[in-house]
Amino acid sequence: MLELSRLSKRYGEVQALDECSFRVERGRMLGFLGPNGAGKTTAMRSVFNLVSLDEGTVTWRGRPVGQAERMRFGYMPEQRGLYPKMRIGKQLVYLGRIHGMTTADATAAAERWLEELGLGDRTGDPLEKLSHGNQQRVQLAAALIHDPELLVLDEPFSGLDPFGVETMSEILRSRAAEGAAVVFSSHQLDMVEDLCQDVAIIHQGRVVMGGEVRQLKMDSPYWVIEVEMRGGDTERLSRLESVVSVDFDGYRHRIVARKGGDLSDLVSRLDLGGDVRHFTFSAPSLSELFKEAVAG
Amino acid sequence: MTSWQAIRLVMGREIRERSRSGAFIVSVAITLLLVAAVLFLPLIFADDDVRYEVGVVGDGSQVVIDAAVALANPPGREVRTTIEVVAFATREAAEAAADAEEVDGVLMDGREIVVRGAGGEAGGALESLLQRGARSVQIESLVASGAGEVVDILTSQPLEVRSLSGADAEENSERSVIAFGGLMLLYMAVLLYGSLILSGVTEEKTNRVVEVLLAAFEPWQLLAGKILGIGLLGLCQFVGTVVIALVGINLTGVIDLPEFPVDSILVLVLWFILGYSLFAVMFGAAGALVSRAEDAQTVVAPISLVAVAGFFIAIQAVSNPTSTLSVVTTFIPPTAPFVAPVRFAFQAIPLWQMAVSVALMILTVVLMTRLAGRVYLGGLLRFGSRVGIREAFRTAEL
Repeated sequence: MLELSRLSKRYGEVQALDECSFRVERGRMLGFLGPNGAGKTTAMRSVFNLVSLDEGTVTWRGRPVGQAERMRFGYMPEQRGLYPKMRIGKQLVYLGRIHGMTTADATAAAERWLEELGLGDRTGDPLEKLSHGNQQRVQLAAALIHDPELLVLDEPFSGLDPFGVETMSEILRSRAAEGAAVVFSSHQLDMVEDLCQDVAIIHQGRVVMGGEVRQLKMDSPYWVIEVEMRGGDTERLSRLESVVSVDFDGYRHRIVARKGGDLSDLVSRLDLGGDVRHFTFSAPSLSELFKEAVAG
Repeated sequence: MTSWQAIRLVMGREIRERSRSGAFIVSVAITLLLVAAVLFLPLIFADDDVRYEVGVVGDGSQVVIDAAVALANPPGREVRTTIEVVAFATREAAEAAADAEEVDGVLMDGREIVVRGAGGEAGGALESLLQRGARSVQIESLVASGAGEVVDILTSQPLEVRSLSGADAEENSERSVIAFGGLMLLYMAVLLYGSLILSGVTEEKTNRVVEVLLAAFEPWQLLAGKILGIGLLGLCQFVGTVVIALVGINLTGVIDLPEFPVDSILVLVLWFILGYSLFAVMFGAAGALVSRAEDAQTVVAPISLVAVAGFFIAIQAVSNPTSTLSVVTTFIPPTAPFVAPVRFAFQAIPLWQMAVSVALMILTVVLMTRLAGRVYLGGLLRFGSRVGIREAFRTAEL
């Protein structure tokens, strides 16, 4: 388990991290969310000792993270980059070896990953000869080459086409299924909701919401009702007691209401009339939780 | 992974990737071509053995020619001069032969020289040679002694040379060869390999691979591996070139190599390593401060300036090894590697000054490596504009 505990870091006037804490469990995936400039990259860098923290500790399985621990970590920085003129096979072997692999193991792993990513016949090509998408694949292989126990990925989905997104999701899922702890940052909240069991939402350097996605939804003080009906009156609905917001997309009304009392009580007050074609009741989506957390 | 393993990995990659890059292969080829040119061009333009054909008429010419040949070939001279004698019966026949360029000149009765025209270096050289021969015959007849002695007098250096510094003149010149050679080597290595380190560091920052590397390595391990790798590669190139040059010199005999004093060479090597390390660390830190190769010149200028200053102070020290400037700069780490070996070569540095200077230097290298590690981490993760040194420090307060 990776635990970030009360991390603080100030750059001049900017408080990049302000007692930021969260944990990443083995075998699970955590989505690390936050608006731009919230401190995501600084927090992820601190796992690799790339930031000298003013306060706080980063521990892996209860022990402070040192060079020996980092050998077992895989990192994909926000700023992608490898050696453009180095042949990709050699490059992956080198990156395996700097994480403590033997040359033989690293060579075998590089071949396996390049094969799996469909680059088996490009081993001898320098990186710069590859297309942008293929360079991204090599970058992913670089983070995975040494079979890390912890994967830290800064915006891994940005710049990927839908096929790339699919490949990336599959690989991350299978890494977590094999027992690795996975944490990645993203702005694509639907995908995070889809992939991750856990989330941490950071705002102005502080984790403002965190934990299991299901639990967070259950604990949310709001209900969401989606309803399609004839002659729904947005004005009337939004004036009702305990209703926080009403959105109408032309077909359906999405009603967010504060929890309290009985659900049937709320439904009767909505007074939906006779012609209801669709009615769902759910917890808020992750993006509603996110907006709530960041606005609050 | 131990630090040494990490450093070795970085070193290995630097050496492997750099040695197969086009730029490196071209630079090796150019160096070898230069060495070859230095060694073989003098051979091509070297004087061949000189051979004259001289017509003679009458008696008394042969003694003059014998004396001239003896004067032209003192013992130890490699280029041999020979004069072939062609006897003519009459003046007219001899002059006709000279006019037709069948002979280079004509000697009449050992008293008169006839050459074709006034010009021509060969004609002039032959004329002066025969003049000297004739002069020696005259001296010989005056003192009525053997020709061999006269030749000895005319080709020897009768005044003995003695140096006041105690060391004999020959050793002094060897020491100055070492001092100058070492100075040039260090100066070239600092600027050449310094800029390689600079561009290597900037390159890793520009293509953003550095964050992946720093996630596994400590910054100082990355910097040390880079400096050692490039240094080792440069050293191999240097040693290889020197070995090839020495072999070439032995084969061709173009240059007389003096015997170098061992202590001077050891001191030179020590200072070479110290000087290279200090400048390499400074260049590495400077490289971390810029994101683009274009910005590199601005941060490098002060470092290059220090190297240039060290070089000129050391040149001054060659003629003035105990001047105040030479002594003071011995204790200033960036100039010490240039000045100290020169002063040592001329035996103008007390042992205590040498010891203090080396100690200061080692201390500075260690301190600079730590400082550079900080600047390195702080600078490397800031992309975009040039990072100020203070800002880099603040970013990575370790």
